[in-house]
Amino acid sequence: MRKALSLLALLALLAVASVALLGGCKDKGGDNAAATESGEIKIGVFLSLSGKNADFGKTTKNGIDLAVEEINASGGIGGKKIVLVSKDTRSKPEEAQTVAKALATADKVAVAIGSVESGQSIKAAPVFQEAGIPMVSPSSTNPDVTKQGDRIFRVCYLDDFQGQACAAFAFKDLGFKKAAIIFAQDDDYSKGLAEFFRSSFKALGGTIVEDVAFQGEVSEFKDQVSKIAAANPEVIFAPVYYGSIGLIARDFRKQGVKAPLLGGDGWESPQLIQLAGETLEGCYFGYHYDPDDKDEKVQGYLKAYKAKFNTEPNSLSALGYDAVYAIKKAIELGGGASSDQITEGLRKVVDFHGVTGTFSIDQNRNAKKPITMLKIGGTNLSKVKVIQPSDVK
Amino acid sequence: MAEVSLTTELLQYVANGIAKGSTYALMAVGYTLVYGVLQLINFAHAEVYMLGSYFAWFQAKWAGYLPDDKGARAETVPIGMVALFVAGAMAACALVGMLIERVAYRPLRGAGRLAPLITAIGVSLLLQYGGQVVFGTEPKLFPTFAETRVYDVGGVKFPNTNIYIVLTSVVLMLGLTLFVNKTRPGAAMRACSHDMRTARLMGVNVNATVSLTFAIGSALAAVAGVLVAMDQPAITPLMGVRIGLKAFVAAVVGGIGSIPGAALGGLLLGVSESVVSGLWKPVYSEAVAFVFLIVVLLVKPSGILGKSVREKV
Repeated sequence: MRKALSLLALLALLAVASVALLGGCKDKGGDNAAATESGEIKIGVFLSLSGKNADFGKTTKNGIDLAVEEINASGGIGGKKIVLVSKDTRSKPEEAQTVAKALATADKVAVAIGSVESGQSIKAAPVFQEAGIPMVSPSSTNPDVTKQGDRIFRVCYLDDFQGQACAAFAFKDLGFKKAAIIFAQDDDYSKGLAEFFRSSFKALGGTIVEDVAFQGEVSEFKDQVSKIAAANPEVIFAPVYYGSIGLIARDFRKQGVKAPLLGGDGWESPQLIQLAGETLEGCYFGYHYDPDDKDEKVQGYLKAYKAKFNTEPNSLSALGYDAVYAIKKAIELGGGASSDQITEGLRKVVDFHGVTGTFSIDQNRNAKKPITMLKIGGTNLSKVKVIQPSDVK
Repeated sequence: MAEVSLTTELLQYVANGIAKGSTYALMAVGYTLVYGVLQLINFAHAEVYMLGSYFAWFQAKWAGYLPDDKGARAETVPIGMVALFVAGAMAACALVGMLIERVAYRPLRGAGRLAPLITAIGVSLLLQYGGQVVFGTEPKLFPTFAETRVYDVGGVKFPNTNIYIVLTSVVLMLGLTLFVNKTRPGAAMRACSHDMRTARLMGVNVNATVSLTFAIGSALAAVAGVLVAMDQPAITPLMGVRIGLKAFVAAVVGGIGSIPGAALGGLLLGVSESVVSGLWKPVYSEAVAFVFLIVVLLVKPSGILGKSVREKV
């Protein structure tokens, strides 16, 4: 009996300890959940602030914070200050759905921003759609995201365009005819991008010599690499996130494969070069803007970001930043800050001049904008080509 | 570059599989040792492995072998320092292993088999999530313990990291087998595994022997953690989950309680995964490998080298 009791006590202690630890992580995510006041505009934010893609969420959040700070410092929007309610999705699509419900019902936000990963945005979108709350994804590029409902928007380009642009870049600009693909089968972003690259590379006249997938939280890619090595491709399309690409590139070089790797915006991270070492030398990836652009909007943003966070911003921060300003524009266009007015306003955004280029929201609630191909050399990234939506197809 | 022949390609998968399998084997020994002595599945073993690579990481960081600037690249750590870091990680993990046993398992010894099993899962989760709080969730770049070199033997590529993994695993497994069979503490371990009560009556210090078992298993997990991090230099608090599961399966298939069984099970799992990847598709590798292992267990439920008699280690 005493044994059983002490066992129960121990289990209870463990449970309490783990709840305390988990709760500890969550608390950091939830800002003030003050009740809606007339003088405030509540924007819900759901991002991967922890977990394997934590870098995505944190850099996006920085961009959002910077924009909100700027707007509030200059008197808010029509005299109303922006209040952020942010939630951590812990890099999990199911968690995105859970926090979306909390934002929609408990926090009653007027508009939501999130997430970076398409899988999360697709899970969260129906929740906001049903609650009548507009959602703006800063950087989810999978086409299905905005198909979830007529209140779901985004301010980035789409994977079909990104895949087409990468295929055109590899085939026309780099002159490669034989490509291999490695992608994450259980990830909407990676799978979608692979699909669009595959079909457009073939349509251009190229051959896909090997097409391999991996699944789950893998950190070694030896077998996938052996398969691709045997097919001897000229270029390898690897539409994965930054946490994987360094390890994938290392495995390729370890098996003597020298063909350049090509990827999408998921590669982007301050940690990219460090995790990959020199294995990504001479490789290419698509990016949302050109950091060397002389445009005053871009330079002003870069300066403000460095001053506030003391680090180099990335495209995710820029897209987070643009998402907030697009919402501001929508509030002005829609004539108010209610969910319906913001939705109306977002539909009317045309020729919006953001950090990530000038874009309009089309009838499918997607942003039409260019993609910038960057080349990795040493620890630097250099612009190789800007591809406009009109360049492909 | 000439077309790669099918045999060369197949040999490449076998080489990949042996490298993977060796780490499974090194981890599987930890499960098997503890099971042999306590009939307990120590689920926290996978997290000790994770801690092993973090302990090595911290030492390298303190010694200044990690770049501060995010753009810079890590320099190669000299071999003497590598040995020091590995020894440090082994010692730290051995302590952690003994601590886990003392705090979470010893109070429940004799409370049946289910209770310690649940505690083991609890400790495992505690370390996974505690690790995320303490170390952060973003992948950490593991320092360069050896400059990557690739040896090409007739078209089959052998990266030096894979060679280190296999050699280290073989040496440690042989050493462990000798230790268990030829030394007095090893004899004490075997005695406890046969019958703990009788061993105590014969004057064996059971608690010390159990602590030693945990220390050895955990030190081996630390080595596995460092070896894998050398090959895949991005470490995260959840890195133990997948390999832990596989090593556990390898231990069961090889015959839990048997050290050569753990080695065999690990290699079998690694090689079958790689060969399935090669001949079919990498995404099916785990499913097919596990089906194969289920078949093995159906034919021989005690595992390949396991004895159906209740006799362990």
